[in-house]
Amino acid sequence: MRYVIIGNGVAGVTAAFTLRARDAAAEILLLSGESDYFFSRTALMYAFMDRMSLRDLEPYERHVYAEQNIRLVRDWVTNLDASRRLLTLQSGSSLAYDRLLLATGSLGDAPDWPGLDHVREGAVHFVTLQDLQRAESLARTTREAVVVGGGLIGVELVECLVYHRQKVTFLVRAPWYWPGALAREEAEIVSEHIRRHGVDLRMDEEVAEVLAAPEGRVRAVRTKSGHEYSCQLLGIAIGVSPQIAWLRGVKTPPSLGRGIQVSSSFQTSLENVWATGDCAEFSANGQSLVEQIWYSARRQGELAALAMLGHQVRYDLPIFYNSAKFFEIEYTATGEISPSLPGAQTFFCRLPGREASVRITERAGSIIGVNMLGARWDHSIFERWIAEQRDMDYAISHLAEAQFDVEFGRVDLASVSGAYREWRARSAGTGSPS
Amino acid sequence: MVRKGKSAWLLHDLTHRGPTAWLLTALLVAFYLLLYFTHFFTPVAHSLGLSSKWTLYGLLYTLAILAGGVHVLRKYRHNRYQVVRTSVVMFVQVVFAFSIPEILQFFHQPEYYFSYFWPLKFDDLNPSVVFHLPLFYALYSFLGALLLAPFLGVVFGKRWYCSWVCGCGGLANTAGDGLRHLTSKSSRAWKFEKISIHAVLAVSVLLTALLFVSYGLGSRAPALARFTYNFQTVYAFLVVATLSGVVGAGLYPLGGTRIWCRNFCPMAAVLGLVQKLGRFRITVKPNMCISCGLCSKYCEMGIDVRAYAQANQSFTRASCVGCGLCAEVCPRGVLRLENARSHAPQRASLVQIAPLASAASPSPGRPR
Repeated sequence: MRYVIIGNGVAGVTAAFTLRARDAAAEILLLSGESDYFFSRTALMYAFMDRMSLRDLEPYERHVYAEQNIRLVRDWVTNLDASRRLLTLQSGSSLAYDRLLLATGSLGDAPDWPGLDHVREGAVHFVTLQDLQRAESLARTTREAVVVGGGLIGVELVECLVYHRQKVTFLVRAPWYWPGALAREEAEIVSEHIRRHGVDLRMDEEVAEVLAAPEGRVRAVRTKSGHEYSCQLLGIAIGVSPQIAWLRGVKTPPSLGRGIQVSSSFQTSLENVWATGDCAEFSANGQSLVEQIWYSARRQGELAALAMLGHQVRYDLPIFYNSAKFFEIEYTATGEISPSLPGAQTFFCRLPGREASVRITERAGSIIGVNMLGARWDHSIFERWIAEQRDMDYAISHLAEAQFDVEFGRVDLASVSGAYREWRARSAGTGSPS
Repeated sequence: MVRKGKSAWLLHDLTHRGPTAWLLTALLVAFYLLLYFTHFFTPVAHSLGLSSKWTLYGLLYTLAILAGGVHVLRKYRHNRYQVVRTSVVMFVQVVFAFSIPEILQFFHQPEYYFSYFWPLKFDDLNPSVVFHLPLFYALYSFLGALLLAPFLGVVFGKRWYCSWVCGCGGLANTAGDGLRHLTSKSSRAWKFEKISIHAVLAVSVLLTALLFVSYGLGSRAPALARFTYNFQTVYAFLVVATLSGVVGAGLYPLGGTRIWCRNFCPMAAVLGLVQKLGRFRITVKPNMCISCGLCSKYCEMGIDVRAYAQANQSFTRASCVGCGLCAEVCPRGVLRLENARSHAPQRASLVQIAPLASAASPSPGRPR
């Protein structure tokens, strides 16, 4: 049995190791056009910031692949013929498979800003190894940079550019930073922190036009509010989308939507072809779902491999969790964390003297989401509370169990319970449900 | 990468085995060779009003720890563990490793270092030394090495000594902080370390045993006495001067800061064995690792921390000195140093857990 996996990111590599663990005899090929070896994409910023070499980003020593008898192929796939179970590679050779896994991940979204097509140099995404190399080569000749997009990749790129002592303008379309995950008060903590690092963070700013110098290097960005920000590097971090464009032109494309459409057992519309990770699109309750975080890719990679091995697998959407770091502020999210959830009550408080906060959301007497800034927390404890449908009183009184701060550095939770009692009294006073 | 300005370039060159690093290594090695094997520094010390070249060395060493310590306190000021630990290590160096021995000598007491124990301070259990000390110092030598150190090792792990008290660790974690990432993380280096450190321990135990036997027999066994004397001389030359001094500190800019502690220190070997049986461990927050590798990169003991973190495997490694930098640099707060109430042994060795642990462990996907 020959398994071919396209994509050596965390989903593809996890799938390869899972296949090997369960099937010692299988032939396993791992293809990538991007890199020779699996690297940690989440750590790209640390390479840009000189804290790691590219080699340091590789989670496994290189000899592991030979030991696990996983063949690595560095090439791009140009054609997929599912009727003959055959791939064509950019190098010209073809590759037959018995079972194929598509784990091609995401690419940075390309915006349609006027003027961007005249820019031949200076506009970068920050998702792939090639993006990193471009950004690094540009950093040399950049004094001022503009980064557009108020999500996680945006702030990471901003941090890198600040490290390289560039004057960074950070343009965010939303009224506050990352409204999909942060409430306004939380965004204020983060924004203040970002600004303290010398970043010119601008909210409610949308790009109207990108201006290029005659030789093609980006020169400035003009926004809809009429401001013009001079820059020699334009970071585009407005989101990522499944890397599926290459599949549109192949002989037998799988059914595509936002991503590669798969069943709950990772099967595509093509026989013997599965898809997993960022590039896979599920449909749940009539809604399309594409998960694009490290943790989901890892989990999906493992499950897709089991599905390919013939196990009955059903991908149930697990309780969401994620983590991030905004310069020095650590962030842990579990469950439903959108700041505006219908029918939900939210307790929020800042921890005194720190850039830290606690936000717990409850609906119908059970907590549904926990959003934490600035301190360290064990999200798996929150997951358990959500699964066990614990109420807010329980969560507040057991908060210490989930603390994961360094020794001597635990945040003081007395202020949290104090704020919580006040909040309870207030919401009882206004007659809202407890 | 881009390194703006000459100072940034120089700093990078120094911390990434560039020409500057080689130059500094040459200077450090020359310094240690002159210090250990010549009298070059004796007149220098005397001209400064210091009693010996060793006092001069102690002074320089203490200044390096203080200057590096101030830098480290600033760098990690947001991390209470680092602040407390660094303050303690600076305090111990100034008071116990430098001032008290000088003061004791002034009052015609033995020059005694309360912060060092056998087998690191070999003479502490050398009968011809320890039996001639006043009772208090002799008792401290015996009880410190045989009871206090191992006991604290069981309760807190070897970190209580290696990164809170010891001067070697003190220098590594203060002045050497910028070079900590140079320690090799390869599995080959790990294999070497396991052999070398236990070999040095075995030799030092054997030598101590010989010293006791020879001391007991006295003039009845002149051949043994001669042999033991020669053995002791070789040990002092090879282990104390060469491995702890010239190699251990001299090669900082090339091999990282814990060459001695990781590969050769017999005290670290003893405490490492104790640690494996004790309470200390690094707890891994499940499913939170993003495999970035900062923990491994900045582990001064060359432990591939990431391999455990990405496999959701809490662990206790004999070599871990509990400096806490893996937990500090982790961008997702995955790691925490703990003195666990119950001992949680590793399920498997690193070789077995990487990279198949997640696949081998019960699947989260509930295959049905």
